[in-house]
Amino acid sequence: MADLRRSRPAAHALGRGRPLSAPVTAGALVRLLHERLGDDLRELWTDEDTVEFRIDRARNVDVLTTLRDDEDLDFFFLADAAAVDYGTDAHFEVVYHLFSWKHPAWVRVRARVDRRDPRIPTVTTLWEGAMFHEREMYDMMGIVFEGNRDLRRIYMSPDYRSFPQRRDFVLPDDAADTAVAGVSPLERPETWDLARFRDELTRSAAPTAAPSPLDTDAEAGEVAASESRPR
Amino acid sequence: MTRIDPETQIPDPIELDRREEERLRAAAGLAPSPAAGGEYAGFDTVGIPDRPPQTEREREVYTLDEGEMLVNMGPQHPSTHGVMRIVVKVRGEIVVDVDPVLGYLHRGIEKLCENATYTTVLTYVDPMDYLSTMHNEHAPAIAFEKLYGVKAPPRAEYIRALVVELNRIFSHGLMMGFLALDIGGLTPILYSFINRDEVVDMLSAISGQRMLFNFFRVGGVNWDTNDEFLSRLGTWRSHVLDNIEMNERMITENEIFRGRTLGMGRLTGEDAISLGVSGPNLRASGVPFDVRKAHPYSIYHELEFDIITQDGGDSYSRYLQRIAEIKQSIHLIDQIIDKMPHGPVQAQVPGIIRPKPGRAFGAVESPRGLYSVYAISDGGPNPYRFRMRDPSFISLQAIPKLMPGRLVADTMAVMASFDPVMGGVDK
Repeated sequence: MADLRRSRPAAHALGRGRPLSAPVTAGALVRLLHERLGDDLRELWTDEDTVEFRIDRARNVDVLTTLRDDEDLDFFFLADAAAVDYGTDAHFEVVYHLFSWKHPAWVRVRARVDRRDPRIPTVTTLWEGAMFHEREMYDMMGIVFEGNRDLRRIYMSPDYRSFPQRRDFVLPDDAADTAVAGVSPLERPETWDLARFRDELTRSAAPTAAPSPLDTDAEAGEVAASESRPR
Repeated sequence: MTRIDPETQIPDPIELDRREEERLRAAAGLAPSPAAGGEYAGFDTVGIPDRPPQTEREREVYTLDEGEMLVNMGPQHPSTHGVMRIVVKVRGEIVVDVDPVLGYLHRGIEKLCENATYTTVLTYVDPMDYLSTMHNEHAPAIAFEKLYGVKAPPRAEYIRALVVELNRIFSHGLMMGFLALDIGGLTPILYSFINRDEVVDMLSAISGQRMLFNFFRVGGVNWDTNDEFLSRLGTWRSHVLDNIEMNERMITENEIFRGRTLGMGRLTGEDAISLGVSGPNLRASGVPFDVRKAHPYSIYHELEFDIITQDGGDSYSRYLQRIAEIKQSIHLIDQIIDKMPHGPVQAQVPGIIRPKPGRAFGAVESPRGLYSVYAISDGGPNPYRFRMRDPSFISLQAIPKLMPGRLVADTMAVMASFDPVMGGVDK
C-alpha cells in the first residue's frame, strides 16, 4: 500500500487483453487462497470472472486484512460492500467485492449475520471508504457494525425507525397480496425505538450460550437463492 | 373574504405525529412510548439536530469550540449539483469540519427494482445517475446476462460501447463547465451545454429519448443504428475536437481557474484507494485503475487504449483527466466505427425473464467511476436482491477529508471537481 506508485508497472502496461474464462480463475488464485486462508475458506465457488467464498462473520477483519496486505493476493480495492436479506426464517449476509491487479477475478467474500443478533465487526479500519457502505447497510437492513464510529442513518431521517430493505418490510402495493389479508406490517413497531432495539440486542446477545445456527454448516431455512451455484 | 377566527387552535404537526405514534403503538399492543409527554427529538429551524448525538463522529462535528459556528449549505443550494445538504463547521472563513447529510433525493430504487421484472429494472435505473444513463443500464444488463446465461450479439456490443463512450464525452464535458461555473465563470457551461446537446440529439436519434434513454435490453439493445444517428455522428465528429480545443483555451490557461484549482483538494493515491474513490478522480491521483482494462466487459478487449493518469491529485488534475478522457473516448469511437460488424442487435430472450437461481456481479466504468451491480436471482421473475454501487456516493466521502483548513468558498469548487451527481448518490 505504502509504495503503491513505485511497485506498479507503468499505466500503459496494465490491463488485460481478453475476457477471462473459468480455467484462469480457478487455477492459481484458488490455490493461493487455500494456502493463505486455510480453514477460513468455506463453500468456495468460481464463475467466469468471480471467485467467491464464505467466511465466519467474526473473522471478516482478519480475512480481509490478509486479502489486502498479502503481497501475492494484493486485493487493494474494496469495490463493493452490500447486505442481503435471505428472509425472516434465515439470515442476513454481508458481501464484499474486492479487486486486485494480480488476479484476473473479482473476489466475493460472504459473511452470514444472524437475524436476531445482526452484528458484524466493521471494516472501516481497513478502508475508510467502507463508512458509507456500512451506514447504508445499517440504514436499510439494520445491521450493526461493531467499532464503526459513525453508525448513523444515511438516507432515511434520523428519527425514522424501520429498516426498509428487509424482506419483511412490505410495500403498500404488495400488502393486499399477502396471506394475512392486508395487515402486513409496513413499519415494524418493535423497531420504532432504536435505542431500545439496541438494548434488546445487547441483552439477547449476552445469555445465549448455545451455538448460533451460523456456526454450523447446516443450511436450515436458507432459501434457494443462497443455496445455488453462482452463474 | 372569509375571516379567520383568531381563537381557532392551530394543531401542532409534531403533536399530531406523536399522537399517531401512540395510536399505532396501542393498536400493536405495545406500551405507550417512554418519550410520551417528554421532549420531541426533532430539528431546530436551522436544521442542526437538537438531540443528543448518536455517534462519536456526530458529537465531534456538532460540538463547537470557542469561535466556531455551524453553517448549513443546501439542500437547495444551487451549486450542490442536486439536492444535497452539507453542514460546515467554520472558524471565520476557515472550514474546520464538514458533514454531508444525504437522503433528500432518496427514492428507494433498489427496493423498487426488487419488485420489478428484469426488463423493467433497466428503466428504473435510468434516473439514478442522470448524466450517465447509458452506464446505469449497462451494469445491470451485464449482470442479468450473466444470470440468464445469454450473450448479446457482437453488433449490439459495439453499439453499446459506442453509446456509452458518447455518454462519457458529454458527461465529462458538462463537468468542465460546472467546475468553471462553481468557480465563477459563467461562459464555459453554455458551451458545454451546446456540445452536450449535439450528443444528446444523436443519442435521442438512436434511442428515442433525450435524457433517460432506456436503450439497453437484456441480451442486446433496443434499436440498430439509423441514418439520422450516423449523419449526426459524422457531423459531430468533424468538429468535436475543435469544440473541445475552444473550451480548453477558455478554461485551462485561465489564471483565475488555475488559481482556484491548482493544489486545491489534493488527494493522494493511498487515501483515494482507502476512501473508495474510483474513476477519473482516482486516476487523477496517479492510481491506474480502470474497469475497462481491469475486467474488460463488452468489447473493450478489442480496442486499443491506455489507462491515462495524472500525478497531481488536485482539482486541476481532475479537470485535466476529464479532458484527456474525452479525447480518449473520441479515439475509441473511431475504432468502434471502424470495426463495427453487421448482424442482429438483440439475442433471443423471452418477454418475462426467469433466470435460474444464482448470483452475478456486473461492473462498468462510468464517468464517475466503478459502477457495479450485484444481482441475486431466486428463480422468479424479479431479482431477489438488486444492489447498485454508485461511484459518486462513495467519492463524496473525500470531501470531509479534504476540506478542513481550506476556505468556505473552496468547498463547492473542490466538490465540483469530484463531479458527484445527487441522483446517483441518493439512489
